[in-house]
Amino acid sequence: MQTSGLHKLIKVINLTDSTYILQIEKNGMQFEAGQHILLGKENDPDQREYSIYSGINDEHLEVLIKEVTDGSVSKHLKNLEPGELLNVEGPLGFFGLNKEKIKSGKFLFVASGTGIAPFHSMIKSYPGLDYKILHGIRTCNEAYGKEDYSKESYLRCASREADCDFEGRVTDYIIQNQFDKDTICYFCGNFKMIKEAMDLLEKKGIPGTQLHAEVYF
Amino acid sequence: MSKKIAFKTLGCRLNLFETDSLASEFTKNNYQVVDFSEKADVYVINTCTVTSMSDQKSRRVINQAGRRKEDGITIVTGCMATNYKEQLEKNENIDYVVDNDHKTSVVSIAEAHFNGEIVSDENYQKELFNYQPAEETFHTRSFIKIQDGCDNFCTFCIIPKVRGRATSRPVEDVLENIRKVVEFGYKEIIITGVNIGRYSYEGIDFEALVEKMLEIPGDFRIRISSIEPDGYTDSFFRLFKHPKLAPHMHICLQSGSEGVLLKMRRMYTAKLFKEMADKLEELYPGFSLTTDIIVGFPGETDDQFQETVDMASSIGFGHIHTFKYSIRKGTRAERLPDHVDEKEKNRRGEVIRKLSDETRLSHRKRFVGKTQRVLVQIILKDGFARGFGEHYIPVVIKEKDLKTNTFYDVNITNLEEIDEPTLIGKLIN
Repeated sequence: MQTSGLHKLIKVINLTDSTYILQIEKNGMQFEAGQHILLGKENDPDQREYSIYSGINDEHLEVLIKEVTDGSVSKHLKNLEPGELLNVEGPLGFFGLNKEKIKSGKFLFVASGTGIAPFHSMIKSYPGLDYKILHGIRTCNEAYGKEDYSKESYLRCASREADCDFEGRVTDYIIQNQFDKDTICYFCGNFKMIKEAMDLLEKKGIPGTQLHAEVYF
Repeated sequence: MSKKIAFKTLGCRLNLFETDSLASEFTKNNYQVVDFSEKADVYVINTCTVTSMSDQKSRRVINQAGRRKEDGITIVTGCMATNYKEQLEKNENIDYVVDNDHKTSVVSIAEAHFNGEIVSDENYQKELFNYQPAEETFHTRSFIKIQDGCDNFCTFCIIPKVRGRATSRPVEDVLENIRKVVEFGYKEIIITGVNIGRYSYEGIDFEALVEKMLEIPGDFRIRISSIEPDGYTDSFFRLFKHPKLAPHMHICLQSGSEGVLLKMRRMYTAKLFKEMADKLEELYPGFSLTTDIIVGFPGETDDQFQETVDMASSIGFGHIHTFKYSIRKGTRAERLPDHVDEKEKNRRGEVIRKLSDETRLSHRKRFVGKTQRVLVQIILKDGFARGFGEHYIPVVIKEKDLKTNTFYDVNITNLEEIDEPTLIGKLIN
C-alpha cells in the first residue's frame, strides 16, 4: 500500500564524510525489500528516489545516501535535525526478490557504492537467504554496513585500495570467477558497472531472465 | 436553448477515453457538442505534456480557444494542466485549470460557472475512475480505462509526476463498463491506462482481468492498446488464441540499445524484447506489433542508434511512432550529460520514420490473400466502406450499402495506397 505523507527524522548517521543513513519514522509503511521511496524536505517540491536500506521488519525506515556535491536534495537532507519532517512517498518500484525463490534460490548481488542499499534491505529482511554480494567501492571505508553481512558472503572489490577482499572492480572479479548458471543476479549502482557486469554474466551463461537491474545515477 | 461545448483532445488514448466520458456527461446535461472550430460556450482542452512538442500543441489549441470564446469559457485539463498549473492559471485565455486528479469535475465546474457560483479548486472532486460509460463518443470504438498512474519512473518520463502513482480500477467496475458499452452497441473495446500491464486489484492482475473481459458475452472484440514490455508469461501469450482478443499490441520499445535502455531505466532488455516479438510471430504469424521509439536520448551514440535501427528492422513493426527526446523538467534524464544536438535528433527521427514506412508496407503485404474481420468505421464518399481488421490495419471494402459499426469478414485481394497502404477486401459470402 503506497502512502504519501510526512515522516519525522529520527537521526542522521554519518558513515563517511559524504555518505550517511537517514533514519526515519516508519509510520506503518509496509514495503518489499528492494523497493524505493521518494524523499524530500517538508514543503520542498524537489524529491529524489532512494532505495530503502532497512529490513521489512525493522522498527524504522532507513535510506543510505551519498551526498552529491552540486545536488539540491542530498546536501540539505544531511543537515536536517532530528524531529524535522520529511516528505515520504512510497514504497515504489519493482526491484525485488522473486518470493518463490527466496528459500531455494541462489542470489548474486552486485552493487557499486550506495547501490548496496536494496541488498542490505533484502538480507536483513530474509536472514536465511543464500547470497553473495560483490560490492564495488573505491576504498575499504566505503563498505557500508559490512557487519550486517556474513563474512563469507560479502566481498569488497576496491578499485583504489589493496587491503580489501579483492583488488579491482566488481567486473574484474566477475571476469576471473565462475558462477552457477542458475544464479539469480541483481545489480544496483552506476550504469557503467551494471551494463558491463550484466554483459559478462550473460556471456558466462546466465540467462537474461535471471538478470535484474536498478540503475543509480 | 442548450449551450454549446467543444472539445479538443491531445495525446494518449486515456485522454480520449476521458474526453468521451466528459462529452457524454455534458450531453446528458443538455449541452450540444460542436466542432472545435465552431463558436461554443465552453471549450474543453484535454492536454498532453509527454514531449515539448505536446506542450506546444496544447498551447496552440488553448490560444485558438481563447480567440474564439468571446463570452464563453475555456477549461484546460489533462497532463499539461497538471504539470504547469500555476503558469496556466495566469493565462488570460483560460478560465479554469483542472488537473488530472480532478478531471471528472469539469462538468460540475461548467455548470457552476453558468449558475453564477464561485468555483474554487477546493470544491473539485478528486476521482480517477468516476467516468461513466459513454453511449455516444467521438469514436466508433469504446475506450475503457482500467488503470491510472505509473510507478516505473523511466528517466525520461514526466508521466509519474502528472498522472501520479499507479492505481487500478476495481475489477467489477471495469467489467460493468464493458458490459454497458457492449449494450450500447460498441463492437470494439480498447483497454487503456497509463501502464496497463501493471494492473493489479485485489489479486487480479492484467492477464486475469483480460481473461474475465473475454468471458463477457456479445459480439465484440478487445484490443490491448499501449503496454510496457515486461512481465509477460506464456499464459498471457495464449490469451491471443481467443477470437475476441485482437492480435495486436503497441509495445513500447523506446530503444534497441541495451545501454540506452538501462539509462532510460526501462525494465527489460533489448534481447528480451526481441525474444518476445519472435515468440508472438511464431505463435501468431502476422501478429501486429507497433511501437514507440525515442531518438536522441541523452548520450545515445551513433552506434546505439544503429542498434535501434537494426532491431526495429529485424522485428518489422507494423508501425513505429517516433519521438524526439525532449527534456521534461524534473526528470532524471534532464540531469544526464551529453544531450544530443537537435539537428541530429531530427536526422535520427527521419531515419526511423522511413524505416517505419518500409516495415509497415512489408507487414501489410503479408495480409494479401488472407482474411480479416473488418469493423466498418466510415462509409467513404464513393460509397465504399473503410474500417480496421483485427490486426489494426485499415481495410477498404469495395462494396456499397455496408453499415458502420458492423463486422464484415473479407478476403484481402490487394494493397493500395490510399493516404497510407490500405488493404482491399472482398466480402466473404
